[in-house]
Amino acid sequence: MITTYPRAIRGTRTLPYLAGASVLVGAIASFMALVWAPADAVQGDVQRIMYVHVPAAWLAYLAFVVVFLASVAWLWGHSPLADAVAVASAEIGVMFTGLAIVLGSIWAKPTWGVWWTWEPRLVTTAVMFSMYAGYLLLRSLSSDFERRATRAAVVGAIAVLNVPIVHLSVTWMNALHQLPSVLRPGPPALDGRMYATLLVAVAAFTLLYASLLVARVGIERRRRSDAGRSEG
Amino acid sequence: MRLRRAWLVAERDLRGERAQPDGLAAAVGLTAILVFVESLLVGPATAAATPAVASGLLWIALTLGAILAITRSFDRELEDDALESVLTLPGGADALYLGKVLAATLLLTLVSLAGTALTVLLLDLEVSLPGHLGLVTLGGALAIPPTVTLYVAISLRLRARALVVPLLAVPALVPQLIAASAGAAAAITGDAGGSFAWCALLVATALVSAIAGLTIGPAAIE
Repeated sequence: MITTYPRAIRGTRTLPYLAGASVLVGAIASFMALVWAPADAVQGDVQRIMYVHVPAAWLAYLAFVVVFLASVAWLWGHSPLADAVAVASAEIGVMFTGLAIVLGSIWAKPTWGVWWTWEPRLVTTAVMFSMYAGYLLLRSLSSDFERRATRAAVVGAIAVLNVPIVHLSVTWMNALHQLPSVLRPGPPALDGRMYATLLVAVAAFTLLYASLLVARVGIERRRRSDAGRSEG
Repeated sequence: MRLRRAWLVAERDLRGERAQPDGLAAAVGLTAILVFVESLLVGPATAAATPAVASGLLWIALTLGAILAITRSFDRELEDDALESVLTLPGGADALYLGKVLAATLLLTLVSLAGTALTVLLLDLEVSLPGHLGLVTLGGALAIPPTVTLYVAISLRLRARALVVPLLAVPALVPQLIAASAGAAAAITGDAGGSFAWCALLVATALVSAIAGLTIGPAAIE
């Protein structure tokens, strides 16, 4: 039985540090979100869900941009690491897009009165989710590594168009969803403490993303290494 | 040169379709059945009150018909072992993609005109601007093939392709489907400006998806 993969899983050495940092920053963000930040004047405490909903959506954007960059890198140089990063980031992105949709739905019920409405941000996010779910399905149906990576890279490079569409949908069309509060021209449209809390929460989620990415890339490289050995 | 090769691919495709029109027959058959069942479910009263329902259902049927026709077109290449000879030519993958898009656009034009006529007939729709409806139909026939062809090409030789292509293509076709449905509804209700605007969006999506397909699609054709 093979028990060590020193070269293949070298990247996972950073994993304990990243995971520890994400737990620590996550704990600080939780304290700030639940205790330090003021309650919203109109929505009250229910608004605090923003500190997980917005970072989850940010992580989805980040993950899909990384999928795009890794897909282009695969098409350019056929590096197995690029393909491993693409699949790892896509899986994390789909998970956090789903989480953003669910959290947004929980937030929508007390504020809009409905779990779901046919509103541009919600619809474009659902379309983005289904396109990347299709990307993962495409990957799962092929066992030939080179072909699977090339097919997936083409889809990954095209599907990134969803990210600006989702983000800007609220400014292009009449939307019930609020306009961007942070990623927008001009100063953030938030109270100072809320803004600081949101930034710390985003940092915690980003560290979590980095941890998951490193762990998943390690798994993917190990799988490839195992496949190579069994073929050899 | 590249355009000439693409036209040769399209011409060969259309000639094959004329000799054995299984792709066209499948697309027309599926569209007709779906339009018939949808018309039965919706009924003339609902369609007259909300024309967007009828046009939305029609364009979903046409999208599925287009997926069927384009998949069949690539299947014919695989069955005849003709794909390799096209791909060995310089720029062969580009020509194959573009040629398939051209042929599919012509086929889908026929299918969508027939589907639109059948919908109008079965739902007894009073069309205020028939010319505009025809224009939107042509715009839709132009906008759908570049995206569907790309995803069929990506999924070539893939297990469960019948499952993958609709799952990948339909979400990517949301802007086209919205524009075609809203444009057709505008033509039915007599909104000339609206139908022109949606038609312009269809042409724009056709151009963007064709450019995206030509830029990156050939990399996945093998």
